Amino acid sequence: MTRYLSFAGIKFRSKMAYRFDYVLGILNTLLSFVVYWSIYKALYNGASEVDGVTFSMVTTSFLISLGLSAAFHKNEMFLQDKIKQGTIANELLKPVNFKLRMLFEDMGEGAFHVVFNFLPTVIIACFFAPIQAPSGARDVLLCLVSVILGYVVLWEISFIVQSWSFTLFSVWGLITIKNVMVNILAGAYIPMWFMPDWLRSAIRFTPFDSIYFTPVQLYLGELGGKEIVFHFARQLFWITALWAVGEYFWRSGIKKLVIQGG
Amino acid sequence: MRTMQTAKNIIEVNNLCKTFKIHKRATGFKGALKDIFHPTYEWKKAVDNVSFSIHEGEMVGFIGPNGAGKSTTIKMLSGILYPDSGDMQVAGYVPYKQRKEYVANIGVVFGQKSQISWDLSPLDSYEVIRHIYRIPPKQYKENLARYTELLDMGSFIRQPVRQLSLGQRMRADIAAALLHSPKIVFFDEPTIGIDVVGKDKIRKFIRTLNQTDNITMIFTTHDMQDIVKTCERLIIIDDGQKLYDGSLENVKKGYGSSRIIEAEFESLPISLDLSHAVVSDADNSGLKKRIAFSTDEVSVNEMMSALMNTHNIKDVSIREPEIDAIIRDIYEGRIVMN
Amino acid sequence: MRDILSLFFAYAKSGLKSRFQYKLDAIVATFAVFLREAGGIIAMYLALLKFDTINNWNIDELLFLFSLIFITYGIFIVFFMALRDFSDWIRHGDFDRVMLRPRGLLTQLVLCGADWLAALGHGTLGIVLFVISASRVGIQWNPAMAVYYIIAVISGVLIQGAIFLFFSSISFYVVETGSLKEIFYWNMRKFAIYPLSIYNRFIQSILIFVVPFAFVNYFPAQFFLRKADMAAYPEWLMYISPVVGVTLYLLAYSFWRFSLRFYKSTGNG
Repeated sequence: MTRYLSFAGIKFRSKMAYRFDYVLGILNTLLSFVVYWSIYKALYNGASEVDGVTFSMVTTSFLISLGLSAAFHKNEMFLQDKIKQGTIANELLKPVNFKLRMLFEDMGEGAFHVVFNFLPTVIIACFFAPIQAPSGARDVLLCLVSVILGYVVLWEISFIVQSWSFTLFSVWGLITIKNVMVNILAGAYIPMWFMPDWLRSAIRFTPFDSIYFTPVQLYLGELGGKEIVFHFARQLFWITALWAVGEYFWRSGIKKLVIQGG
Repeated sequence: MRTMQTAKNIIEVNNLCKTFKIHKRATGFKGALKDIFHPTYEWKKAVDNVSFSIHEGEMVGFIGPNGAGKSTTIKMLSGILYPDSGDMQVAGYVPYKQRKEYVANIGVVFGQKSQISWDLSPLDSYEVIRHIYRIPPKQYKENLARYTELLDMGSFIRQPVRQLSLGQRMRADIAAALLHSPKIVFFDEPTIGIDVVGKDKIRKFIRTLNQTDNITMIFTTHDMQDIVKTCERLIIIDDGQKLYDGSLENVKKGYGSSRIIEAEFESLPISLDLSHAVVSDADNSGLKKRIAFSTDEVSVNEMMSALMNTHNIKDVSIREPEIDAIIRDIYEGRIVMN
Repeated sequence: MRDILSLFFAYAKSGLKSRFQYKLDAIVATFAVFLREAGGIIAMYLALLKFDTINNWNIDELLFLFSLIFITYGIFIVFFMALRDFSDWIRHGDFDRVMLRPRGLLTQLVLCGADWLAALGHGTLGIVLFVISASRVGIQWNPAMAVYYIIAVISGVLIQGAIFLFFSSISFYVVETGSLKEIFYWNMRKFAIYPLSIYNRFIQSILIFVVPFAFVNYFPAQFFLRKADMAAYPEWLMYISPVVGVTLYLLAYSFWRFSLRFYKSTGNG
């Protein structure tokens, strides 16, 4: 385990080599937030709440999903590049679990973006936008746990699409399509509360609302005791299910690679 | 040797300098943090006061270790980089000032970077090149036919480049650089990664072209055999400075007095007490020895008799030092060339 | 001119040919670009289902505003793709090759870099939006308006081209300009998708004076729509897009000429 944590650490540090990127990264994240803030400010047009949802709930939910997307800021062509360059074979010879290593390296990179891009953004955002304070220490803690679970769900969806690069020439198009679906259906573009009812109930059967919306609801204290358990269970279910699917594509991909002789 | 006296200089370079600013990255977490606020830079003289001239039709090998400044020099000669100071005139142009007019006269082959598209056939790429260089149809047709034959490209000229071997790809690339009939061609590592047979084909072609078409050629490489098989003249550059400029023969001559005898003795013990030679083990049996000496101090005959008189020798070979070894010695300052 | 056109077609032919080596991938990529851009519209549409209008603009008017971004961008990538990805050209050593060819540097870059499939993705989306929205916002077309529209589109392309010419020039000093582009182009574009008037003064000034996206779509759209929020700005702003485009491009061009001497090529060997 410590070995995998050190992979994360190395990645974190290597990101620090690009100093120009810190300042710009903060500005970037901040601007993304300002876009949503401005749009919803204009949409609310001074109204205190719409359908029981206050403006500060909206901005808070955008901020949380922005944090998670900042954490997920990674090179999704990684696997394809490794396969195309033929270096994947070398990676597989190393005595570490490639998938786990990839996950931890990505988390290290994500941690960098959270610390250096997202946290400064939160601080600056507090000066001009209404940000809801968490309903309690317990909620913050639950939210953090569920953010990590949400991250893993997001990561696994990405891994599944990436693993198709064993068969397809380029997965760029599919990754892009996947990102559109995640951004819309998981509520990064529009908060889940404002989606049409039919869409919202459809999304409940997909992994998408366990990515951003579960952490948001936990943070805002919208969930009661039983619901909390249910939502965590759902996140865990999707992690297991998606892991299995990813593992299937990964293994059959490797098998193909071995048959073709790399 | 061709008409060296009457040939005019096509390349003239005087006191050329180019310096790069390099960001020195600090190591470790603390260093990285410090780097954000206080980046440190250092200046590296990539090319330091280099002068030379090259005749029309000459073929010059340009060598030096990695980072010696040879690519930078080539890039300035071909109009890609602005020099910091110094004068140069190539084919009657100042490359960095008259880039557009100048580059119509040169061809450049990068061994590491192809100019033909990966997904297209060489022929498709040549079509685009024809448009870019505005090559007249007649000239294009003639050149294409000629190089297809000389470079033996008939079998693959219509295949996508990604299906070609490295050697085939390089041949296609060389043809691409020649279609517009340039006066000067720069070859930057044209044989890198190619197998022996492929290398030989390329060297032969370059040699032939130089002799028949009187094209001036500059050749950078790491492979000394490229130079030995193609060039008469050699420019050695290291640390941005010119170390040697002269014929290949001279290099060999200047260091040609050293010999190595490799002898396998019948039995132990071996006691060699040779005052003018350096003795080392050639393998770990202890029976095979390598004896290096200079013919200025002791002749091969004397050395051989000295060995034969004291020991029974099973097998013996005498070698001149290889050009690679000489060059390495020049880089490392063990010999100074004038 | 004929020479330029024949070069353009030679590039286009080889570009398309190499792209269509992988037909399925090409189709998926085009669709992906289309969907990615449509994603913003879908989010807008869903939000407007709940809120009806944003600063008094209804969904059709918003789509009209939106369509100008896509149409200009679709044309933009036909001509300025190489400048958009110029850092890659430098990093991979492709710009060396451009410098070794006896044609103008920008001529080569502008003519050769088209990503036809992405252009198709963006362009189709732009035209579809334009056709849907233009009829529903009640524009009474006349020749003058058609001319205005065409000039507005050309200006919009030029403004975006100029922005990327600036970034490309910066690549001569620092190769990695990804974050700069992200901030000064992609994020600004996210702003430009909605009416300028919904933003605070600071962001408005950036969109007018720094990265003048307002002249790509907001002011030209106002010429047709005449929404009430235009009252906050002088009316002549609706007419100066071409001036902004040409001025910006000339500025960027001189910066490019000046910066060229700092090109370092890759590797300092």
